[in-house]
Amino acid sequence: MIRSLNIILIFTSVFMLAGVYALKFSIENTASERTALIAQIDAQEGDLSLLKADEAVLNQPGHIEPIIQRHAAALGVEPVKQEQFGAFADLPMRPVKPNSAAMDSLFTALEAGIDPIDAILELEGIE
Amino acid sequence: MAITADGHGPTIALDGARKVRGNLTQARIRWMILALVLGFGLVGGRLIQLGLVETDSTIEGQARDVITATRPPILDRNGLEMAVDIRVPSLFAEPRRIIDVEEAVRKLRTVLPDLSDDWLRDRLTGDQGFVWVQRELSPAIQDRVMRLGIPGIDFITESKRFYPGMSEASHILGSTNIDNQGIAGIERHMDGEDVALLQDLGLARGNALAPVELSVDMRVQHVMHEQLLNAMERYSAIAAAGVMVDIYTGEVIALASVPDFNPNEPATALVKDSFNRITAGIFEPGSIFKTVTMAGALDSGSVKITDDFDARFGIRFGRYTIDDFHGKHRVLSLPEVYKYSSNIGTIRIMQAMGKDNFRDFLTRMGFDTRVPFELPEMRLPSVPKELSEVGAATASFGHGLSVSPLHMVTAYAAFVNGGNYIAPTLYKRDAAEAQALYRPVLKPETSAQIRYLMRLNALEGSGSQMNKEAQGYRVGGKTGTAEKVVDGKYSSSKVTNFFGSAFPLDNPRYAMVIMVDEPKAENAQTGSTAGWNAGMVTGRIVQRVAPMLGIAPDFAEVLDENLVPKILR
Repeated sequence: MIRSLNIILIFTSVFMLAGVYALKFSIENTASERTALIAQIDAQEGDLSLLKADEAVLNQPGHIEPIIQRHAAALGVEPVKQEQFGAFADLPMRPVKPNSAAMDSLFTALEAGIDPIDAILELEGIE
Repeated sequence: MAITADGHGPTIALDGARKVRGNLTQARIRWMILALVLGFGLVGGRLIQLGLVETDSTIEGQARDVITATRPPILDRNGLEMAVDIRVPSLFAEPRRIIDVEEAVRKLRTVLPDLSDDWLRDRLTGDQGFVWVQRELSPAIQDRVMRLGIPGIDFITESKRFYPGMSEASHILGSTNIDNQGIAGIERHMDGEDVALLQDLGLARGNALAPVELSVDMRVQHVMHEQLLNAMERYSAIAAAGVMVDIYTGEVIALASVPDFNPNEPATALVKDSFNRITAGIFEPGSIFKTVTMAGALDSGSVKITDDFDARFGIRFGRYTIDDFHGKHRVLSLPEVYKYSSNIGTIRIMQAMGKDNFRDFLTRMGFDTRVPFELPEMRLPSVPKELSEVGAATASFGHGLSVSPLHMVTAYAAFVNGGNYIAPTLYKRDAAEAQALYRPVLKPETSAQIRYLMRLNALEGSGSQMNKEAQGYRVGGKTGTAEKVVDGKYSSSKVTNFFGSAFPLDNPRYAMVIMVDEPKAENAQTGSTAGWNAGMVTGRIVQRVAPMLGIAPDFAEVLDENLVPKILR
């Protein structure tokens, strides 16, 4: 009775031992993975900070203006002048639609051989 | 199996085998227990020992967290970065772990030849746990040092402040030292506020810090900085400075002073003459102070905009006579006094108000104290506590007292915004927040009259050169040419020129003060008075920035006519 219990206990402890060791090694493994990831994140954050700084430099008006000045002739750009600004209120009104019905009647009259000008000339007494 | 013999001979007592074995076992158990106790005692003792060891986590007396602490990025009002943190490697050594100092020195100098041989040897010898070798290196150098494989030499990533705008906003931003602590400008102010506290608590790590938003507009700042550099060159001036504020919220839109420094190299800030002239410089403001006198007198009710003043003769004070620069020598109306910048007329206006009332008005406008502002670089203005008759007379046209250009721009903002004094700020502030801080100093009617006078001066007076540059943007302002004191006398060749302005005056939004120090005439056709330099710089700046600020040009004359007070129409 005691003997078989002992055997069972011995086997269990051997299994437990093996389990604990396996756990230990897997944790060590995870820990080193974590360290590697932290280092990688750190490095990438460092790179990111440099890229952000680069972007900020490239966005500065003080960086863009000399570039524009250098290429002003090629691009045909120059600083805006006051006269170039406009407003919707300054736009002229849309021209009145041509009176197409009147034009049509005029053309049909001309084709029929009646020139309305003749009537006016006659009235004025000009030949 | 005990054998006992009765009577003779010594008694021999022998223990039985079982008893002998039993005793032996007991002794063994005792030894075992002793061994176990000793073993556990040893382990326990070692544990206590390890627990008592204080590991030195500081870096040359500073906590590691402080060294690697980050600062929040600084953004302009449109979200453009003005200051960011970059991560850079720094090289350190642990001298107690270095095996061969000579070898380490030799190898390190192949990568970092700038380091002195003796200094490095001295640095690496000893029993310290941590010494800096070289801070803030490039990743390339880090790679090369790592390849050397010297034991006891390693890198730590530090945060370094970087200012992408270079010197453009240097006086606003200030700079930080190598430990990433603010030493000037808004950086220093931020430390005083809460960044230092966060760093102390060890919270200022990583990118978690919320960015700080300033009121500055980098586009306007760029134009102002560029125009000021241009002005220094154009007029061979020794310095130039300018500041623009939003008149309703007090937000500083741009603030520049040249010569300046590059905040990426803090050592350049120590160069002479690169101080912030807007906040830390006090000057005699000259004629731009006449606007203050006018505003005070008109607001007190002792003079009206329709009044006339006798400017036929200079005013005598004992041995001195104060006369006009461009003397008309006739009776001038109040708008003419302003337009022709008549000293005599201004003195008469101040006298009508009374010198004590005038002095009280200066106090009300905050000319006695520093302007409440975030930058640590501030100087007390110098305004006499009591004004004598002569003192009050000279003060009325801006001589005999010294104030900073920031005082002037704050006063001008109050004059045109309807008469409310609002302290300037570098942080974002909306109209509602600002209104809670308003301190009424003028009646709204007086403010309207000042707007008219400023616009009038741009149309017909000393501001006409400026107006030509900024046609259509309804700018108005006042010139000021203050003679400098050289050897105890006012010199007419060395002057400090100012232009105080506001635009667009039909519905003002911005006030600006531009200063040019000791300018010369640009060419023979021009002069060295303020209208030719400070005025034209103002005009050029407005011409460039008004569209950025959403102000469209308008040439309608009715806008100017509307500014004229009803009584004068």
